[in-house]
Amino acid sequence: MVALDLDATQLDRYSRHLIMDAVGPEGQQQLLNSRVLCVGAGGLGSPAIEYLAAAGVGTLGIVDDDVVERSNLQRQVLHTEADIGTPKVESAAAFVEAQAPDVTVEPIERRLTKANARELVASYDIVLDGSDNFPTRFLLNDVCWLRGTPLVHGAVLRFEGQVTTIDPRADGPCYRCLFPSAPPAGAVPGCATAGVLGVLPGTVGCFQATEVCKLIMETGDPLVGRLLSYNAAGMTVDTVEYAANPNCPVCGTNGIDSIEEIEYTETCAIDDHCAGGS
Amino acid sequence: MHWKLFATLREATGHQEVAVEIEEDATIRDALDALLQNHPELEDELFSPQGELYNHIRLLQNGDDPFLTGDGFDADVGPDDELALFPPVSGG
Repeated sequence: MVALDLDATQLDRYSRHLIMDAVGPEGQQQLLNSRVLCVGAGGLGSPAIEYLAAAGVGTLGIVDDDVVERSNLQRQVLHTEADIGTPKVESAAAFVEAQAPDVTVEPIERRLTKANARELVASYDIVLDGSDNFPTRFLLNDVCWLRGTPLVHGAVLRFEGQVTTIDPRADGPCYRCLFPSAPPAGAVPGCATAGVLGVLPGTVGCFQATEVCKLIMETGDPLVGRLLSYNAAGMTVDTVEYAANPNCPVCGTNGIDSIEEIEYTETCAIDDHCAGGS
Repeated sequence: MHWKLFATLREATGHQEVAVEIEEDATIRDALDALLQNHPELEDELFSPQGELYNHIRLLQNGDDPFLTGDGFDADVGPDDELALFPPVSGG
């Protein structure tokens, strides 16, 4: 049972949540008590941060080492023309503080790396992956799995987005069960070289924020063991199930117990000698 | 049976779904050959210069990985089966 502590302003602000059976005062309190780390304050992070803040997620950590560039503004709706040259975590924090006074923002102007990932993830309940590169994505999967922290993955390219939820508590599959390693350089382009429809990360980031809220409130069916693919060109959503791989180098029987020996470069592959609890 | 293609594979062919005709005793290899016959542009997207299916490409048969649960390319394919091929994407 969650101790309820909503004041009169909060009863008004969150009234559309409070009247829902699936949320109610208890669900709202769970949101207010939760700590979520958003990795990236770009295309995916923008809508995710805005909606998680609006929903009353109590503490939002935002980690990003970039500054706002003009080419970001076609999709990164957290930032404005006036923010160009400003660290993204600063403009993101300013937006949240103006929008949602209940939310404590923890801006972390650093790049998530192998050296700091464990420490950063450790103080949050859930991680939302809004990064823009494979090494960060594989690093987050591995760290979150070892730590037991749920991870909501989202990624976009041109007209297509992918979303899945990794929940180590449910013993479900991890991202490496789906994709053991990253493509070789150039095989699957990123947004900087291949482009992305500006609206697309808005939709995909909202899918991710939805998953985070569901995990916090322990309601609905999260995308654990399911990869959602959204094709904005055909306006289709497909969900493909995937199972845990018993030979997965992270969550499999002989999976890693540390990221020490893994190189998060190129394909981020895990050699046999890293696995097996060595 | 039909193939479902995602992300760069959908873009390469211009199709999200591709139906192919297969024999009664067809395997995944046969279904893949039929797909490549219709869409040879997928060859470079799916296979390394050594002819191996790229590690980053995922192939699922009705949601299961035939390389984990069955016979891989030799697994049987029925007329109502759905085979899916997808790569990861990384943009954010």
